[in-house]
Amino acid sequence: MRQAVIGLGLLVAAISTVNNPAFADDIADKIQLCSGCHGESGIPQQKTTPVIWGQNQGYIYVQLRDFKAGARKNDQMSAIAADLSKDDMKALAAHFSGLKWPNLQQPSPSKDVTKHALTVIGSIGCTSCHLEQYQGNSTTPRLAGQQAAYLLKTMTDFRDHSRANNPGMSDLMNAAQPADLDPIAQYLASLTVIGGDGQ
Amino acid sequence: MVGIKSRATTAALAMSLAFCAFSSVGAQEIEHKSKEAIKGAPAPSVTQEELSKAGKDTKQFLHTNGNYDQTRYFPGKQINTGNVAKLRPAWIFQLDVKESLETTPIIVGDVMYVTTSFDHVYALNAKTGEQYWQYKHKMGPITTYCCGPNNRGVAVYEDKVYLATLDAKLVALDAKTGSLVWETQIADPEDGYSETMAPTAVNGKIIIGTNGGEYGIRGFVRAYDAKTGKLVWNFDTVPENTVGVWATKDATGKDLHRDIEAEKAQLAKTGDPYKTLGGGVWQNPAVDLKLNRLFFVVGNPSPDLDGSLRPGDNLYTDSLVSIDLDTGKYVCHLQYIPHDVWDFDAVSPAVLVDVKDKDGKVIPGVIHGGKTGFVYVHNRKDCSLIRFSEPMVAQENMWTLPTPEGARMLPGANGGVEWSPMAVNPKLALTYAVNLHQPMTYQVQSSPYPDGKLWLGGAFKVIPTEASFGNVTAVNYNTGKIKWQVKTPEPMMGGALATAGDLVFTGEANGWFRAYNAESGKILWSFQCGAGVNAPPSAYALGGKEYVVVGAGGNTQIDFKRGNNIIAFTLN
Repeated sequence: MRQAVIGLGLLVAAISTVNNPAFADDIADKIQLCSGCHGESGIPQQKTTPVIWGQNQGYIYVQLRDFKAGARKNDQMSAIAADLSKDDMKALAAHFSGLKWPNLQQPSPSKDVTKHALTVIGSIGCTSCHLEQYQGNSTTPRLAGQQAAYLLKTMTDFRDHSRANNPGMSDLMNAAQPADLDPIAQYLASLTVIGGDGQ
Repeated sequence: MVGIKSRATTAALAMSLAFCAFSSVGAQEIEHKSKEAIKGAPAPSVTQEELSKAGKDTKQFLHTNGNYDQTRYFPGKQINTGNVAKLRPAWIFQLDVKESLETTPIIVGDVMYVTTSFDHVYALNAKTGEQYWQYKHKMGPITTYCCGPNNRGVAVYEDKVYLATLDAKLVALDAKTGSLVWETQIADPEDGYSETMAPTAVNGKIIIGTNGGEYGIRGFVRAYDAKTGKLVWNFDTVPENTVGVWATKDATGKDLHRDIEAEKAQLAKTGDPYKTLGGGVWQNPAVDLKLNRLFFVVGNPSPDLDGSLRPGDNLYTDSLVSIDLDTGKYVCHLQYIPHDVWDFDAVSPAVLVDVKDKDGKVIPGVIHGGKTGFVYVHNRKDCSLIRFSEPMVAQENMWTLPTPEGARMLPGANGGVEWSPMAVNPKLALTYAVNLHQPMTYQVQSSPYPDGKLWLGGAFKVIPTEASFGNVTAVNYNTGKIKWQVKTPEPMMGGALATAGDLVFTGEANGWFRAYNAESGKILWSFQCGAGVNAPPSAYALGGKEYVVVGAGGNTQIDFKRGNNIIAFTLN
């Protein structure tokens, strides 16, 4: 009972920050728009489109912020983010981070590929930020269970600076070799997300 | 836009959104259910007098580093060289969060306070390990931190427990119940600020620095009112003029290979870089109550590896700094590495000890263990350097400049001595430091500040084909000579505790927690904790029995095996 009272209290307080039905209506429209590519059930339409259901809240917010500011560029996302307010971005981030990560059932790579990936990961220190289970936290994204093709594209884009909104990641990807990236992508894609579907 | 929504759907969505806004917890926490408080803690009030005399307290451990001098020297000697072999676990407490564990247990009466990654606080019965209460910080949706979601512990003053959090808040809790009394937003986490250090309580103030040396922040040390959480004073660790004297050598006289003309041209073009120069302070200051001054070390300039964007000496990064306790006004500093491009921040906490000056006269001193592998010995009066020790680790190719391809240098960017606090045995004039040997390449790549994201200006890369290891080293601070050194199979991170029983305790990444003979370095006792022992130990006594306690939870930064145990040991 005590927990229920606290929960209701939080909810009431929170609604006042989300502030009005018109806003919620508007956000619901925007969520529908996101689902067009990122999937009605959390499984994206394209292999190079990221899973955002269950992605970390701070990370989604910062990416939307960067798309709007032009720090990260993508024809579709830049156009969509251009009209988002800061409150929109926070609400979308809160919504999608609260959903359950889908199980894409991506296969485990061979032992050799896994060993290759872990050697590179250990050398450049991925777990320093993405943490031991690659779940990330807040503004650092979950990698475990992300789409392999998206991970590979992202690392490649960081490496050649075509994704320019995180030069630290570009530097780290340049500390790896091009042949290292696919093993890392395969390894990370095969991992399970804590709290995700299929747990 | 597809589909038509009903008003009810919209309302449900609003509630869902609202709830999500309050459900931001770390992924690691999801697996654990929070515990209900069992009962209030019998938490006695901590007086300023107790805090001031903590160095002589054989029952309590009231400061993160033992006392205001930060010697981590526990004056009890029930556990000593003669009987430490009989040390056994008294109890083990399992924390809810299994992630990097860097907490120092604080013991007040028979209550112990420990913290975890993602800012949980526990009050435990120090005799039995039973839980009194747990506080789980409601983390804001935005946090930006480098090197793990760490927390290094609490400060306790009067009837409150003080915690600083990843989302850059200072929090005061009721020591008896763990309930929130007040919280203050220290800085904006979206701009790269975060907190992992334990606060320091002194004279009604709570002293706190900031993380963010990898995020283009402007560092500070601040004092807040312990009762209200209101800001009392602020000291910018990075002044508005950071140029300095265009020093070409480090504090030990080694050439830094700076291109001063190029830096001067850059300064003329872009001005002083102070607004994003970093200079975090993420370890506790030492407090000299007689001089009424704080002594602390300041972290690296931002971006870590790219000096081209930040011309000048980058004051007061990589420095020992002293300020007035009442006002926060600058008193003195000494910069170890002007214009650092290797992330060699000064971070292991400053320690106040009496030292011999160059003429052999005993004077108040300050010592610091550097990432360079040197122990630096200073005159407390003006911060000047008296001597530096023999190197505790291999130094190769210092100070070769980072290149786009990567230049090898030793020590690696974690040191030498990382954040790990040293311990001191004043009877032996020895300081005990734990070190890393981690060969790395340093790569530079210039880029503008990416707005609250990691800004290293390149990359550090551990060389996977070379061996990494560590050591425990005893240095005589009156001579700078190494008294003894024990090699360890893994790089060392966590810190040491010295006791009047002539013991030194420290843990290893492979799970071993060991006691060394303080004079000889001989290993007298070991216990396998099952996960990385990468936290500083504490000691206390209850019911006539002395205890040593340590966290075994591994480390994020260098990926040591995680665990979630607090283990207290006592004699059979």
